[in-house]
Amino acid sequence: MKIYSVAEVTGYLRELLETDSLLADLWISGEVSNLSESAAGHLYFTLKDEASQLRCVLFRRGRLALPLEGGVAVVAHGRISIYEVAGTLQFYVDLVQPEGIGILHLEFERLKAKLEEEGLFDVARKRGLPPFPRRIGVVTSPTGAVFSDIANIISRRYPLVELVLSPTPVQGDGASEGIVQAFEALNETEGIDLVILARGGGSLEELWAFNEERVARAIFSSKAPVISGVGHDTDFTIADFVADLRAPTPSAAAELAVPHRSELESRIQSHRRSLLAALWGEISQRRSGVDYMAGRLKSLSPDVDRYRQRIEELTKLASMHLGSFLAINREKLRSQQMQLSTLSPIATLSRGYAQVQHSTTWEVISRIAQVHRGDVIDVRVSDGQFKGKVTGLRKGLQAWMSNFPSKKG
Amino acid sequence: MDEQLSFEEGLNRLEKIVQTLETGGLTLEEALSLFEEGMHLAKICSERLDAAELKISQLQTAFEEAIENKGESPC
Repeated sequence: MKIYSVAEVTGYLRELLETDSLLADLWISGEVSNLSESAAGHLYFTLKDEASQLRCVLFRRGRLALPLEGGVAVVAHGRISIYEVAGTLQFYVDLVQPEGIGILHLEFERLKAKLEEEGLFDVARKRGLPPFPRRIGVVTSPTGAVFSDIANIISRRYPLVELVLSPTPVQGDGASEGIVQAFEALNETEGIDLVILARGGGSLEELWAFNEERVARAIFSSKAPVISGVGHDTDFTIADFVADLRAPTPSAAAELAVPHRSELESRIQSHRRSLLAALWGEISQRRSGVDYMAGRLKSLSPDVDRYRQRIEELTKLASMHLGSFLAINREKLRSQQMQLSTLSPIATLSRGYAQVQHSTTWEVISRIAQVHRGDVIDVRVSDGQFKGKVTGLRKGLQAWMSNFPSKKG
Repeated sequence: MDEQLSFEEGLNRLEKIVQTLETGGLTLEEALSLFEEGMHLAKICSERLDAAELKISQLQTAFEEAIENKGESPC
């Protein structure tokens, strides 16, 4: 046997209470009494019913869904522990709701508020979906119509996809654990770029797994963005709030997951048209460029016909001028020939003059001083020549003139 | 390139080509070769859509083993 200190016992009790999973997270209904507020803003009260009562504390950061006052029937959420200083058992309340609301609804609202506060629903953290996913993980039951509906829709819309089913029960005990494991399995799978979390319609109880905290956290920590498609359009689950995109139904989730092939086909078709139009534009732009340049070139280039005509004219003119030039020159030539012939010594000789040369020196004799008596001379007349001998000399032109035969006779 | 190109890559490339062609400023040779490539890509993308068949696989989870062993439906 051992003697314990009070602190040891209260410490032991506290550990015992706080490791109990039921006491760590529970809802208790009762009537509020002995309400007091501390200076720090914490609320102290007692929850009681006909048989029993329980000391409660609601710290300032806890939430009240109604004004708390004595005698009000409430449902409070929190954990049971021991307040060691006073040695009293205490209910540490974090949420107080009016009584009369179903427990699932209470839990839903509590978790929703809590996760919202933590930022799990932040719009800023929602991830965009890949426009052309390649491997889509599907977290749902392997039996039932949901998976085959999803497969049919995706096969029809965009069959360029691999669906990877990560099977899990989607209702009952083990569903939330199964969903968590299904997400873990997908996180470890190569190339998953989108996850669909789906379940067909059902009651709040049947859909409950999708309102559990660990499922919410599994969605939050999924590597790939998540589309939730749980129940019907009117069903909202915590999973929907955490998911990157909420689809109203599993089929809608499948439709949101992939593009539609007819959309893609018309996109491709419109690209084809754009390509043709762009190329046509390129070509016609160049053609008009060429046309323009050709036009300019034409306007700038010499008028060949005009020049040809001009050349003809010039040729005609030239030949005409050449003709008259030749005629004129022929005439000139003839007159010059005539002139020449009158100047020619032969013509002179034929008129009766003679050329006299020294027969030894061939010196032409034009003056009397060039000859002496006895010189032999060559005399050239129009049709021959003869030799002579100088027998007399007389100086002066008179002497020569007197020798001339008179024309009178 | 055709065989490795995914549908998405093909479509993106096609869109880029259309954009480049529409922006202009290319030589006629460049424009023609882009046009040809674009038409080719459009054909490939269409064919990919026509020829594709949805692939389905299933991961092995603890739950899947459990129902195989029990041979019962979960819901």
